[in-house]
Amino acid sequence: MATATAPPLAQVETRRAPGRSLDRVNPLVYLILIVVGVASLIPFVWMVLTSVKDYGDVVSLKFWPWPPFGNSTPRFDNFAEAIRLIGVDQDTGLPMFFRHVLNTALVTAIVIASSVTTSVLAAYAFAQLDFPAKNVLFILVLATFMIPEELILVPRAVMMNKNYLNWYNTLPAMVAPFLANAFGIFLIRQFFIQIPRDLYDAARIDGAGHMRYLTTVMIPLARPAILTLALLEFIWTWNEFRWIQLVTSSSNMRTVSVGLVGFLQTDGGAQTQLAMAVAVMVVLPVVVLYFFTQRYFTEGITTTGLKG
Amino acid sequence: MTRKLIPLMAVMAMLMAACAAPAAPAPTQAPAAPVATEAPAPTQAPGTTEAAPAPTEAPAPTEAPASGVDAIVLSKDNPTEILFWHRYSGGAQQFVEQFVEKFNAENEFGIKVTIEKIDGSYADLYSKINAAIQGGTPPNIAQAYQNQASFYRLDGNVIDLAPFITSKKYGLTQEEIDDYFAFFLESDKNPQFPGEVLGWPTSRSAAVLYVNLDWLKELGVEEPPKTLAEFEELACKASDPANERYGLAWQNDISNFAALVFANGGRVLSEDAKSYTFNSEAGVESLSLLKRLFENKCAVEIASAERFGEQTRFAAQKVLFVMASSTGLPFYADAVAKSEKPFRWTYVMFPQKDPAKPVVDIYGASWSVFKSTPEKELASWLFLKAFTEPENIAQWAVASGYMAVRKSAAPKAIEAVKSNERYKNFPEAAEAYARLYDMVAFGAVEAPVAGYDPVRKLMSDVVSAVAIKGEGDVKAALDKAVEDANAILKENAPGGY
Repeated sequence: MATATAPPLAQVETRRAPGRSLDRVNPLVYLILIVVGVASLIPFVWMVLTSVKDYGDVVSLKFWPWPPFGNSTPRFDNFAEAIRLIGVDQDTGLPMFFRHVLNTALVTAIVIASSVTTSVLAAYAFAQLDFPAKNVLFILVLATFMIPEELILVPRAVMMNKNYLNWYNTLPAMVAPFLANAFGIFLIRQFFIQIPRDLYDAARIDGAGHMRYLTTVMIPLARPAILTLALLEFIWTWNEFRWIQLVTSSSNMRTVSVGLVGFLQTDGGAQTQLAMAVAVMVVLPVVVLYFFTQRYFTEGITTTGLKG
Repeated sequence: MTRKLIPLMAVMAMLMAACAAPAAPAPTQAPAAPVATEAPAPTQAPGTTEAAPAPTEAPAPTEAPASGVDAIVLSKDNPTEILFWHRYSGGAQQFVEQFVEKFNAENEFGIKVTIEKIDGSYADLYSKINAAIQGGTPPNIAQAYQNQASFYRLDGNVIDLAPFITSKKYGLTQEEIDDYFAFFLESDKNPQFPGEVLGWPTSRSAAVLYVNLDWLKELGVEEPPKTLAEFEELACKASDPANERYGLAWQNDISNFAALVFANGGRVLSEDAKSYTFNSEAGVESLSLLKRLFENKCAVEIASAERFGEQTRFAAQKVLFVMASSTGLPFYADAVAKSEKPFRWTYVMFPQKDPAKPVVDIYGASWSVFKSTPEKELASWLFLKAFTEPENIAQWAVASGYMAVRKSAAPKAIEAVKSNERYKNFPEAAEAYARLYDMVAFGAVEAPVAGYDPVRKLMSDVVSAVAIKGEGDVKAALDKAVEDANAILKENAPGGY
């Protein structure tokens, strides 16, 4: 059976917004972009530099205490010291920080797999299928977008307690609210509706059903959008603090963001260089991942929502 | 098969989406606790809700049978498990963990305490407890500020400790009660709940003024300022904005503003807890002073994002004065010791409008006991009582940096600080800890009433707008804030109050 295969993304008919080509952009625009970019980077640079400073250099407010402007040496042992201070997991004997990293990786993996799967399936239904009250259902899904997080946080947390689901301090509680995502459905649907209906008709002639068409045509075409969603889910889940903090109680169930806040929330004072060392370790995976996937991310954002 | 399967899966996915989180789980603020609208159910005296187990020993025929708290029996044969939520870190956390281990091994009542550290701020702990209460699973003991304990009390979720304190069998003798600093015990009472004790004091600190003594000497002054006028004059004399040096480092923590109101002879809340009063003459003077300090570039604001930035700036000799909690003492010592040019420093009572009638803002989270079974409530009390035994509380004060809450423990804590290597080069700082106990006699509590957290936010906004940004009129802004604060107070007052 000859099956329809996905054409390159470039061949999918999209209309580019009219505008000047990049090489003719006013240098002033570049200058503004550079200034904004540098300004955005300063806090990150400060965090990284502080993470390898001696406490004395921190309290002396030295931005660059190393040669040629100073005589200090970088203190990479700040990372080990911070990990030591976070404590040890009694179950495994491993540093608690690594336990937090493993917990975060597990929660993130489950959330990404689930939310991408549910988003793709629901988006396909909304973009491709006809069924009663489709638009009403879609508006209902979008309406969940509009509910402030603060409003549903406590009721959801209460649901996890023993009087209801009894999931408190368990993995299901940590992932449950994020298994499906209205934003993800909207994002993927916007991509799917740009794909010409002709492709579906061709696939049907070749005998492909919905699942075959979805997996061999739609998903490959929507890869930038799906990767964008996966990346966003990674960032959101990796950084999630409030929910995990509410539904877990034991330290060995915590994630890195909760651990980081616990490390930062001291009474009376703090060793800033150690706090920044932990912060660097927490944000590093997100930065590295974004560095390698930013092309897809940009593609996914810029190619969704355009009418074909 | 797949044709039937995909619509089914799609519908399932949509249903999951409808139940799931709305898009990005962005970091959220602590949710506002629900406002109590009904009169709280009066808490029953512990031990009266259920029939007490029969005492293991026959009571002596000459004695009247035990009742209430005294009738509750705890035994090793039937261990009582209780859960304690805290947010301590560092040395304080270590001490609590060690103490619990020792208490579980040695207590004669078969009490087993489990501790859970809540990573986060007091606001996070407060949110978590409110969620747990609604879910029916609060801890047995938790750290709580007085206003938070009052909020829990509105619906009868925390218990009155008075019956335990006065229990002949399990309570404290008059001599023991007298050994606690009276002000600390009083601070856990709320006029809205007359006679009730809603928390047990374990941790207290004071709003103090950290001073760079060497810098002061350069300004031709030997002694830290005693009056607010001297303080303002010195702060402005020290300031050199061109070199980013200022007289005062101001964090917009409203306890600092409350300390100023007290120093001006005012109150945050009326004595009967029926109205907020920080718009009084003392409040106006406090806000005006701050406004002048910022207008004349004598003060610099430490943004909340620059956590403990006031310490690093103090150590870098960028600020002469810092208003902060006395618990910072060891951290300031470490910061100054590590700085390029260590200097002499100390902390003192915050300058007063009238030094003959000083008032000091003394604060600290207490430990509150949540409603459960009579046995668990008693076990919780016995744990609190054991923790505040003089020997333990002295060690706790050293480990945590808080004041010792018992008079007999204070000398041990003072001696431990004075002999600590950390203060070897800072004798004035070590002496400051000893003088801290002199301030207790002049202590004042901000507002031990439910709803004070949002009021603090109101006050913080006023200070930020009027004093720091120079917007609006001092009196009008305070009047409006008090009007809003009183509405919150009324909303959170116990029914019929």
